[in-house]
Amino acid sequence: MTNTSIRVRLTLWYGSALALILLLFAVALYLVMSRALREQVDASLDEAAAVAIRTLGEHRFGPFLIFEDLSQEFPELALLDKFFQIFGPAGQVTIQSSNIQSREIPLSQTAFRASLEGKSTFESAQFAKGVSLRLLSVPIRQDEQLVNILRVGTSLRPSDRMLRRLLVGLYIASPVALLVSLMGGWFLAGRALRPVHAITQAARRITAGDWSQRILTPQSNDEIGQLASTFNDMIGRLEVSFKQIRQFSADASHELRTPLTITKGETELALRRPRQAEDYRVVLESNLEEIDRMSRIVDELLFLSRADLGEIKLKMLPVQLDDLFREIHQQAAVLGKDRSIQTVMTKVEPVVVEGDDLRLRELLLNLVDNAVKYSQTGQTVELALVVVGSQAKIIVQDYGIGIASESHDRVFDRFYRTDEARAHAAKGTGLGLAICKWIVEVHHGSIELQSTVQGGSCFTVFLPLSSVKV
Amino acid sequence: MRILVVEDEPKVASFIRRALEEESYAVDVCADGAGGLDWAQTVNYDLIVLDLMLPGLPGVEVLKRARAAGVKTPVMILTARSEVDQRVKGLDAGADDYLTKPFAIEELLARARALLRRSGGAPSGILQVDDVVLNPVTREVTCGEQRLEFTTKEYALLEYLMRNAGRVLTRSMIAEHVWDLDFDTFTNVIDVYISYLRNKIDKGRERSLIQTIRGSGYMMRSDG
Repeated sequence: MTNTSIRVRLTLWYGSALALILLLFAVALYLVMSRALREQVDASLDEAAAVAIRTLGEHRFGPFLIFEDLSQEFPELALLDKFFQIFGPAGQVTIQSSNIQSREIPLSQTAFRASLEGKSTFESAQFAKGVSLRLLSVPIRQDEQLVNILRVGTSLRPSDRMLRRLLVGLYIASPVALLVSLMGGWFLAGRALRPVHAITQAARRITAGDWSQRILTPQSNDEIGQLASTFNDMIGRLEVSFKQIRQFSADASHELRTPLTITKGETELALRRPRQAEDYRVVLESNLEEIDRMSRIVDELLFLSRADLGEIKLKMLPVQLDDLFREIHQQAAVLGKDRSIQTVMTKVEPVVVEGDDLRLRELLLNLVDNAVKYSQTGQTVELALVVVGSQAKIIVQDYGIGIASESHDRVFDRFYRTDEARAHAAKGTGLGLAICKWIVEVHHGSIELQSTVQGGSCFTVFLPLSSVKV
Repeated sequence: MRILVVEDEPKVASFIRRALEEESYAVDVCADGAGGLDWAQTVNYDLIVLDLMLPGLPGVEVLKRARAAGVKTPVMILTARSEVDQRVKGLDAGADDYLTKPFAIEELLARARALLRRSGGAPSGILQVDDVVLNPVTREVTCGEQRLEFTTKEYALLEYLMRNAGRVLTRSMIAEHVWDLDFDTFTNVIDVYISYLRNKIDKGRERSLIQTIRGSGYMMRSDG
C-alpha cells in the first residue's frame, strides 16, 4: 500500500469503517424489526385466543361440530384474521375454522404436554409450500381437568413481507450511502491534503533551482499551516546559505583565475621558441610566486570553510598577550625591511587573555602584515597594547593607502578588496581580514576600523581579559 | 600594427605584451580604465585588447565611451569564463571579439590576426605586392622563389606598408603603427628601416616597390 496516495488510503479507511458500521446497523435493525413483528403477532394471537375462550366459555364449550354453526353463533370469531382449532383432551381435532379446512396441522407433542400441565405454548411451524405459521395453543380446563385445547394461528406472510421489504431497502440504501460517503470522503481528503500538494509542487520547483518559491499558506495555525510555514522558513534559510555558497565559489574561482592566467600565459609564451636559460628562470620564479599565491588562497579557503562547519578546535588557555605582541613586533620588522618600513611599539601593558595562542598569533600577524603591506616605502607602523576596563585593546595603525569609508563594512567580507588594494603591488588573498574577524569573534571580542583614503588605517581589537592570572 | 593592452594585473599585461611584441606588433600597456580610454582616443591603434575587470572605470564603460567618441579600432575583450553576462555586455557595447581567462597565447595571437585582417587587407590574410608575398600567420615572406629573412621591426614595417599598398603613409603614421610610445619621432630610424627593406625586396628590380613621396612619407606601389 506504500505506493497508494494518502488520499486513496484515507478514503479507503473511511469507506471500510463506514461499511462495517452500516452492516452492523442493518443487522441490528433487521433483528429488532423481526423481533418487534414477532411480538406484535404473538400479542394479537394472545388477544384472539382470549376472545375465543371468553366467547366459547359463555357457551360452556358445547360440542360444536361444524365451524359454520360456530361462526353463526359467534360472528365475532369470523372477523378474526386468524384460524383456530379446538382439540379434544386427547389431542384430536374437534373443530377448526374454515380457512384451514382442508389442511392438517396436528398438535405438536411439546404443545400437548404443556397443555396437560396447564401452560400455553407459542410455536412457529412450517406449513406446506413454505408458508410460515405462528401458533398459540391454550389449554381450557374445568375443575382441574383438561377439557379442550384451543389453538389460534396466523400466517407470518405479512410480517415476512415487511421484513423482506426492509432487507431490500437496506440492500439498496447501504451501497448508495457508502458510495456517497466515499465520494464525500475523497473530496474532503483532497481538500485537507491540498496544502500538502502545494508543498510538493513548491519543493519540486525549488529543485529546479528557483529558490524564490514559497508556499502560499492559509492563515490557519493547524498542522498543515504549521508544516507549510516551517517549510517556508527552511527554504528561506537554504536560499540564504545557497546564495552565500554560490557567491563564495564564484569569488574563489575568480581569485584563482588570475594566477592561473599568469602561469598558463607565461609558460606558453616561454615554450613558443627556444630561449636563454635566464628567461626560463624568470618564468619559473614568477610561476612559483603565483603557485604560492594559489596555495595560500586554497589554505585560507579551507580554514574558513572548516571554521564555518565548526571543525576548528581551539585550546582556550590563559595567554600572556604582551609577550606574544613583542614576538609579532620582531617579525614585523623583518616584513618591512625591504621597503624600510619601521614598526614601532608605542605602549605595551602586561595583559592576560583567555584564548588559543596559535590563533591569536595569526590574528596579530595578519593585521601587522596588512599594515606593512599597504604602507608606502619609508613609512611607520604603530602597535599598542593597553588595558581598558575589563578588556585588552590592541591597536595596529598604519599611514598607508587607507580604505574609503564606504568600504569599511565590507573589508571583513571574504574576497572583498578595495580597488586601491587590487592596484597595490603586494597582493593579498582577500581572506586575511575575514579570518581575523572570525578569530576575534570566537574569542568573544570585537574588531573596529578607522580609516581614510591615503590617510592610513587603524584596526582596533578588543578582547576580554582572563580572570586567571599567570 | 600597433596594439593597446588595457589590463590592471601587471604580470598578465606583461606576458601579453611580450607575446605580441614577438609577433612584431608595437604594444602599449595601460593599467587602468580612464588612462586606456585616453590613449584609445589619442593614438590611432590597429587593435585594443581590453580587460573588463578594471579598477576605476570598468572595461564595458571604457568601450562604450570610446565607441561614442568615434573610435573605430577593433576591440578584443578579456573576461572570466563564468561571466556570460559580462561578455554579452561587452559585445553589445561594441567589442568585436572576446577571450576568456585563462586563455592560450596562440589563441590570443590568432584572434588578434583575424581582427587585424578584417579591418584591412585580403580576407585570406596573405598579402601580395608584385612577386612579394607575405603570410601573417607563418610570418614568411617570399620574393619569387626566394625566401626572405627580416628582423622583427623590418617585418612589422613591411607588413604595414603592404597592408596599405597604394596609400601614402606619413612618417608619423608609420611611427604610430609600427613603433610604440617610447619611439622618438625626431630621428631618421624610419628612413633607415625603409632602406633595409629596399635592399632586401628590390633586388633585380628597375623601380623600387617602396616609393618615396617627397615631403610626406612613403607608399608601397600597388601596381608592382
